[in-house]
Parts: sequence; structure tokens; C-alpha cells
Amino acid sequence: MSSSTSKLLIPLHVQYIQSLGESKDDLLYHLTAHLRMNAIYWGLTALNIMQHKDALSRTEMIDFVVSCWDDEAGAFGAHPDHDAHLHATLSAIQILIMQDALDRVDVDRVVKFILSLQQPSGVFAGDQWGEVDTRFLYCAVNALSLLGRLHELDVEKTVGYLRQCRNFDGGFGAVAGAESHAAMVFVCTAALAILDRLDEIDQETLGWWLAERQLPNGGLNGRPEKLEDVCYSFWVLSSMSILKKIRWVDADKLIGFILSAQETEHGGIADRPGDQPDVFHTHFGVAGLSLLGYPGLADLDPVYCMPAKIIERMGLRRDWEALPRKTE
Amino acid sequence: MSAEFEDVLLYAERPEWADVTPLPQYQGVDALAPINYSAEYQDATDYFRGIVKAGEKSPRVLALTWNIINMNPAHYSAWQYRYKTLLAMGADLEAELRLMDDFAVTNMKTYQVWHHRRLLLTALRSPAAAAAELAFTARVLAGDAKNYHTWSYRQWLLVHFNDDDEGGLWAGERAWVEELLEKDVRNNSAWHHRFLVVWASGVRRGDEDREAVGRTESAFAKDKIALAPNNPSAWNYLRGVLEHTKTPFATLTSFVELYIVSDAAEAPEVVDLDNPAPTEGAQLPCVHALEFLADVYEQEGGEQVAKAVEIWKSLANEHDTMRKKYWEYRIRDGLQGARA
Ligand SMILES: [Zn+2]
Repeated sequence: MSSSTSKLLIPLHVQYIQSLGESKDDLLYHLTAHLRMNAIYWGLTALNIMQHKDALSRTEMIDFVVSCWDDEAGAFGAHPDHDAHLHATLSAIQILIMQDALDRVDVDRVVKFILSLQQPSGVFAGDQWGEVDTRFLYCAVNALSLLGRLHELDVEKTVGYLRQCRNFDGGFGAVAGAESHAAMVFVCTAALAILDRLDEIDQETLGWWLAERQLPNGGLNGRPEKLEDVCYSFWVLSSMSILKKIRWVDADKLIGFILSAQETEHGGIADRPGDQPDVFHTHFGVAGLSLLGYPGLADLDPVYCMPAKIIERMGLRRDWEALPRKTE
Repeated sequence: MSAEFEDVLLYAERPEWADVTPLPQYQGVDALAPINYSAEYQDATDYFRGIVKAGEKSPRVLALTWNIINMNPAHYSAWQYRYKTLLAMGADLEAELRLMDDFAVTNMKTYQVWHHRRLLLTALRSPAAAAAELAFTARVLAGDAKNYHTWSYRQWLLVHFNDDDEGGLWAGERAWVEELLEKDVRNNSAWHHRFLVVWASGVRRGDEDREAVGRTESAFAKDKIALAPNNPSAWNYLRGVLEHTKTPFATLTSFVELYIVSDAAEAPEVVDLDNPAPTEGAQLPCVHALEFLADVYEQEGGEQVAKAVEIWKSLANEHDTMRKKYWEYRIRDGLQGARA
């Protein structure tokens, strides 16, 4: 790799995120309409961490979020004509908080929508159609906490389901009985952190399982014997950070891996070196670098995956530990 | 996109759709959400919004949603409305499953594909249909043996139909997993599934003697470790079995010691079935074996902790330097435990 990838190319990535809204001609843009709200959240969070939070228009963004309100359901869809969905609703809340515009939300209705999605088993569905898994459970717990309404959740029932998803290797799966997967480990660990129930985790075993995710090239994978991928820099690191075991990772090697996945001409970060960048991996790459103490970045809260300063100000900070911020 | 859609008329050009008022997509208020689609996709989704608004549930809705799903397998509103339409029409849900079979294989990484099947199976309430689904997922996993959605769906089937079928669905699981591990001994999904089948889903007929099952399973894991010593999945499984059956790690010391030497020993004259030796040419010493032996010493405590510390040092400085910080933590923690 050329020497230009030995540093995080912040101005280029800022430009890349700015350019994302511009090429709507291609079909791909529309095929991903169901992730539009999430994509804006990923872009905005990455900009915040790179200390360029004003690179996208605040007014346009807030207007877009508000235009995605599904008045029938009482929550947000991913796109103006889409049905309300829990994941889009969490992203909308996170965006509005980062833009200091939470007053644009009918909190009572959103809380009602979220609580209505909890199933008898304790897990949450993503929408009325009923896709269920621990990702949606995390979305619910996170959103309720951000809205200051966690006390309305049936915590025992929620934790009960997470317990069913815990595996013999210390990890967690997407549903009861499913294989441990780093992304699911993150959602379950972060949900338990918000609920102050980290005692449900076999922390030594899980910490070791997470440390084992690092491969000889420095990258992290999501399951044993799978390929490394930049997004796992967040799923794995955030979990380690919440368990206060992030020091077990070889930080220099992982930083090197993330930087090598940068697209050095038009910006953005890919899942691994040489692949096409996207906003998802750009966000999670930058998030991982922040947790690793990369110089010049703002602190990221690994529990809520938002700027740490904002979460602290809201009085929601949990007891996690990132690597100390390095100076250039 | 497949050729079958190429010469098809737009819905706007078809007389049989003339009674539907297409509903154009919301025109974005700002630069973040403007609209400029492929004509075909835009046309189909405009008519989709039209029929949703009208609440129509009919065979042509099935054709329309099928078309949209083929263009965009992640269009969850189309999936959702299709499912509601199937129910409202009292359609043959097993025929729907068959229609979706090839589509599921091609789009196995799309969550909606599996969720749709889950809804159909829930509505069907048929253990026989569930058994057919086990065969279908086996076929899909034969192509990509680690697909997470497919595995989760299979695990859901087994758990969901457990009571209806007196566990009959589970009967072939262990043998099937064994087949998968024959093909790829490093398939972590298969190892996980084995643990679920044998240990984490109740006790099935013939498995009541848990100690015997523990011995069989640990022998199984040891044989697989011998084939590929640096396979974390097999070691994790072995540890899981020991912990689940509360068997002391020390009972495996003579097995593990075969894996911590720098070079594979000469093949022994008498083959020891309880302690299978590493396959020829295996990379030794094996990090997992070193770690395991250090755990044995640490559990024994006292004088033995010093031996554990020696192993951890070798891991930190030589055999697993990437996780140096972890091994240093184990040294500190181990010494502290020994003093306490
Ligand atoms: Zn990824």
C-alpha cells in the first residue's frame, strides 16, 4: 500500500460522505432506500467523530427525518413513504439528538410504538410484520434510554431473552439457539450495559472470544474461521470496551488494517482493502479508530454508538473504557 | 436482473391494471431524498403503493409483489404485503414455499427471504412442512455452509416445532452435523449446532446417561482436533463439553501434552484411542493446547501456577504475540490468585 494510507484521510472522507446524497441517478441508491435513515445516522456520526459535524446541512437533515414520520404507526420509517420501523426510529432519534432537535419528536407516541413491539418471549420485533432478533431488542433499549423512558420497559423479560441467546463460548446469537456472532455480541452486551446487567455475561470467556477475533493481518472477524472485515472493528472493539478489555487487542495492527481499507482517491472506507467503500464501513471504521485512541478524533460512546460528549451531557454514560487518545 | 422482465410492459401500459391509481413516491423535500429511478422499478412500486392504498388483496398483487421482490429482494413492504395477501386469499402456503425455493438459494443473504418462510411455517403449523424445511435448509447450506440467516432459521424450526413433534425433528441433526464436519472440520456454525443439539436443547431419548454422552462428545472433539490441531472451534467445543459436564480439565492432560511439543512425536507403536496424536505435518506447538494446559496448572494452584506462568510467557513472547496484552493479564491474574 502507498504511504498515503498510513494516515486517516479525514478531509477526503468528509467529502465522500457529503457526496453520497448527490448521485441519486443510479438504481442502487433506490434499492437501499430501506436503509436511508440509517445511512444518514452513519454519515453524521462519522462526521461528528471526525470533528466535522457541520459538513451536512442541519436543516435539510432535520426536514428529511421529520418527513419520514409515519403518523399511522407513531414512529419513523427509513424513507418518507416507508412504514415505521424500529431501526429507522432509533436512527432518527440519534440524528435528532446529535442535531439538538429532539423536540421534533412526539416522544409519547414513539415510546408506545417501541413497547408494542416486545414479544411474549422478551425479544423485540423490528416492525409490525414481526422480524425478531436481538438487534431489534438493542434498538428498543437504546431508544428508550435516549428518550429517558427506560423505566417503562419490562427489564426482567428483556434480560430473560438475552440470557436465552447466550452460548457456551461466552458469546451471543441473533435469536435463542443461534451461533455467537460479533455483531450480536455487541447488541447484547450494549443492551445489558444500558440495563446495568453486565453480570449476566461470562466476561472472562467472552473477553477471550473477542480477543480471538483478531487475525494475523490485524483485522477482526465476526466468527471463528471467517474473513476479517472493517465493521467488526466496531462490533468487537465496542464490546471489549464495555467489558473493559480493549487493551487485549493489538491496536497498532488493527489501526493499520482499517487505514489500509481506505479508498484513497474519492474517500470512504471499505470492508477490506481493495473493495468498494460505503458509508456503513466508513462509519464503523472511524468508530473503531476512535475507540483505539487514534489522534485527532472525538471520543465515541461504544454503548450508544454516538459522540461520547453528548451521551455524557445526557447523564447516560456507562462504565466503559477506550484506549487513551494519542497525540500526532 | 433476469431476462424474464426485459420485454414486459410497464404496469402503466397494461390494460388489466388500468383500474389502479399509481401512487408516485413521496417527492423528497431536500437534496437527501430526491427521486430518479429506473422506469421499471418506479412503475412497479408506484402501482404497489396504489394497491396498498386501495387495500387490494388478489392474485395480481402476488404477481406484482413477486416482480418487485425480484428487482429488490430487500423491499420489506412488498414482502409484508405479499404475506398479508396470501393469508387473506387463503392461498396454498406450501406452494408459496416451493415458488420461493430457488429465490431463497439465490438471495440467501437477504433477511426477508428467511423471515417470509418463518411466517409461512408459523401459519402452516405443520411438523411435516418443518421437516421438509430442514431438508431445504440442508440443501442451501450445502452451497454456503456458514450462512447465518439459514442457520438461525433452521435452529428456529427445531425449537419452534419441538413440542408438536416430540423431538422427532431433531433425530437426524447429530448425524447431519457430523457430515458437515467431515467436509469442513473448521465450520464453527456446525460446531455450534452440535452443542445446541447435544447439550443446550434438553435431553433426548437415548441420551439420558449424560456422563456417557460427555465421554462420546469429548472423544469426538479430540479426534477432530487430531485432524486439525489449530482449529479454535473444536477446542471451544471441547471446553464447552467439559464445563457443561463439570469434568476437570486435568483429565485431558495426557491428550493435550501431545500438542505442546515443537515437533510431532514419532508415530507411537500402539495407537492410544483415548489420546489421538496430531496428524502428520500439523503446525506445533498448538496455541490452544498450551492455553489449555496452563488452565489445568492454574486450576491445580499452588506450585503448579509457576508452570502456568511459564506457558503464558511463551504465548506472550513467542507463540501468540498478537495477544501479548491478554497473556500478560493472565500472568498477573494467575500470580495474584496464587498469592490470595
Ligand atoms: Zn462489514
